[in-house]
Amino acid sequence: MQVALKIWRFDAEKGERALREYEIDAPEEATLLDCLDIVKDRLDGTLAYRKSCRMMICGSCGMRMDGAAVLACQVRMHDVAQAGHVPVISAMGNLPIVKDLVVDMAPFWGKIRAVTPWLEPGFSDPGEQEHVVSQPQMNAIHKESLCIMCGCCVSECNSMEADPDFLGPAALAKGMRFVGDARDQATVERLQAYSEPHGIWDCTRCYFCNERCPKGVDPRDAIAKLGAEAMKEGIDSDMGAKHAKWFVTSAKTTGWLRETELVPKTQGIVKSLKEVKFAMGLLRHGKVPPPFPPHVAEHVGEARALYDLVQHEGEDGYDGIVQLEHALGRLEHEDGHGEAAERGPYGEGSFPKPYLPGEESSDGGGSE
Amino acid sequence: METAAHDVVVVGAGCAGMRAAIEAVDAGADVGVVSKLHPTRSHSGAAEGGINAALGNAADDSPETHAFDTVKGSDYLGDQDAIEILANEAPGDIYQLEHWGCVFSRDEEGRLAQRPFGAAGSPRTVFSADITGHVLIHVLYEQLMKRQASGPLTVYEELFGWQLVEEDGRCVGVIAWDLVKGGLRLVTGSSIVLATGGMGRIYRATTNAYACNGDGMAMALRAGLPLKDMEFMQFHPTTLYPSGVLITEGCRGEGGFLLNATGERFMAHYAPNAMELASRDVVSRSETTEIEAGRGVSGSVLLDLRHLGPERILTRLPGSRELAMTFAGVDPIFDPIPVRPGAHYHMGGVATGNWGETELPGLYAAGEVACVSVHGANRLGGNSLMETITFGRRAGRAAAKAALARAGPPSVSDAPLADAERELGALLGRKDGERPWKIRDELGSSMLENFGVFRYPERMERQLELIQGLRERYEHVVVEDKGEVFNTDLTQAIELGYMLDLAWVMVQAGLAREESRGAHSRPSDFPERDDERFLKHSVSRWRDGGPELSSEEVRMTKWQPEVRSY
Repeated sequence: MQVALKIWRFDAEKGERALREYEIDAPEEATLLDCLDIVKDRLDGTLAYRKSCRMMICGSCGMRMDGAAVLACQVRMHDVAQAGHVPVISAMGNLPIVKDLVVDMAPFWGKIRAVTPWLEPGFSDPGEQEHVVSQPQMNAIHKESLCIMCGCCVSECNSMEADPDFLGPAALAKGMRFVGDARDQATVERLQAYSEPHGIWDCTRCYFCNERCPKGVDPRDAIAKLGAEAMKEGIDSDMGAKHAKWFVTSAKTTGWLRETELVPKTQGIVKSLKEVKFAMGLLRHGKVPPPFPPHVAEHVGEARALYDLVQHEGEDGYDGIVQLEHALGRLEHEDGHGEAAERGPYGEGSFPKPYLPGEESSDGGGSE
Repeated sequence: METAAHDVVVVGAGCAGMRAAIEAVDAGADVGVVSKLHPTRSHSGAAEGGINAALGNAADDSPETHAFDTVKGSDYLGDQDAIEILANEAPGDIYQLEHWGCVFSRDEEGRLAQRPFGAAGSPRTVFSADITGHVLIHVLYEQLMKRQASGPLTVYEELFGWQLVEEDGRCVGVIAWDLVKGGLRLVTGSSIVLATGGMGRIYRATTNAYACNGDGMAMALRAGLPLKDMEFMQFHPTTLYPSGVLITEGCRGEGGFLLNATGERFMAHYAPNAMELASRDVVSRSETTEIEAGRGVSGSVLLDLRHLGPERILTRLPGSRELAMTFAGVDPIFDPIPVRPGAHYHMGGVATGNWGETELPGLYAAGEVACVSVHGANRLGGNSLMETITFGRRAGRAAAKAALARAGPPSVSDAPLADAERELGALLGRKDGERPWKIRDELGSSMLENFGVFRYPERMERQLELIQGLRERYEHVVVEDKGEVFNTDLTQAIELGYMLDLAWVMVQAGLAREESRGAHSRPSDFPERDDERFLKHSVSRWRDGGPELSSEEVRMTKWQPEVRSY
């Protein structure tokens, strides 16, 4: 098939950028990485990009295609080429470019290092046995441990674009990998450290990281788990935590969000005094309801019952979010009513049922 | 030229390299790690199915049984003292990885789960779903970062190891090309540990990463060291068609079937007892026979997981499903996966003793680059990850101990550096000539054709001639990128040179081994194993511009060769 690509080249030695177009002939099954290889081999040996495993596990080939981060080895080009689309390939965002599609990963790894990315406590003696931990307990960090450190989430992170010091989705997901690990003994210290400025509460929840992660890590969900766990541990002095806490308090008392109280509850009385003039303006234009008397929602009992249930079940930390994820996973695949159950293993149109030599094959042909 | 000096320098940072570095730091050495990839990008991370240790969690097991299975699997070419070390020390090494935080799968009691694997007498393979290499490489990198934060450990990422430096009969360092900034660097050490991995890229159809070009083996060969058992390339029975990526043996361990075009479980004809879980050499040959007899499906056979059901596939084999869906458009819940044999693991390598020591004082090797030999003529699935950990640890320990016993970092004369600069200048300075990719592609295709699962004398002879032709063309290759920064055009040209040396060594050793043993199968002229003439290792050295072959005894402890059937 004919494939055309536009590639943002960057010459580090001259500091020049240029958008170049390449046209190649590639096999039908070619991925973006295969196409880059063909460009490099046959058209321009100076093209630079990272690659290694070409099977979505080493995390080398993160780059942008039409402005969104992808692993080059994961993207099949057939449909793109058939549609006559010429995608623009560029280096990942939020990281300095070294050359062409190669970025400097040092800032990325610096943030990973900042979350104490190893199991605590300390160097352990091999001992005679493994820790006994149930599979359901280990499942709490299943998604986070899938992370291949490709940087696609960081590339797309809006908070990091605004604040380059933000720890970011990959590092925080790595943090959750330890917070959720029953064998780790530093949970509280970790949650305190991750709750500092540039930590969990600086995420804007744009969900680009979830959307762009090629491995299903869902870093934003990991950040939510850290937030929930921090609040459960009483680590809630950050404005973000106070903000979230007020949502809960407001919901369980009146059943809806009391926005007027949100600012003082989040920022504190002194700080919010400075906003009084702005608030009065809003009030004058009917943009906020008057705070008194508080409006109580009709079915507030339901909100309160829900709150009590979560408390009662002890699911107010990351456990609850993990439980939700697993429930959603079951809905997709294992509820007994899915496509798999309907079709069965040897449903219509699928390959014949296996047989042993001497047995009849399922299509009546037998062994030849 | 920038230089750095350490007690121990580890070249390569996959599982073996990182394990060696961790051990050397813990032993008190100042360690430098030189790796052409960031450590977590190393190909150990692509290992899927698991790592073997006789923990006995799933069924009765013992290191002795593990050792025997390995000896038998090796077709009696493995060195039995080394195999016993592996089997005995594996459980302790696994517990240590678990204590470091490795995310292994668990059984009902919360202990480490173990699954059956090919040619193993007991379910012995510890795993993490089907991403075992991934969790290993990340736990090792976590431990590496921990030691970097507190100890004398420097990781030189994207520094491409090119040549070993020898001085007064010792290995004293490595000359490397700085991928990021350009320029040659010299990193010296009292001990050097090679852990650069395998060379599957010599073949067009391979599970191996682009990085696996036999760098360390070729560096050692050029430094005059012996390579052992180079004819033994393992073909993995289930590599995805067409991309060649690995579909784990764990699929068969979990109960998957292999089918031919009519849906017959053809393994019944070749290994009636073990069926799909016969050893890899046996299964790859059976598949090739089926395909060549016209019973395949577009050059493949089918791996059928449908009867396992969605839940087992989703919890135990999610990575394999993801690979099949992405690269073959097949969801294994509904349809069988097209698979065929592909080059996967090289049993041979730099000859080492049981502490990773080589013939050259100061030089150690561990992992796929090395040949201890625990795999002999055929490796069992799950044993290579274990080898990287156990022998990586042993090499790191020995290298640190030897380094700390010495007075300080070695001095190095200017001569090897000047030679390297000159060689590099000549390669980069060449303006006209052929670019390397066509030579690389022809090497890969012809090796698959002429030195693959089955080997025939006339094809091997032809392959030797072909390699000579490719080597002559390589003399005139031109590197198009003349820049300093991230010049992979240059490093790929150097890697091709490594592969051309190694291909010659492999085919020469294959021609000389006039028998069929393990992964080396000669159906037309020597279909049987010949213990009388060939129960011995092949040893290859570079002499006067080409490989020279000799042999070495196999180290036996408890087990005499028997007929091998599954």
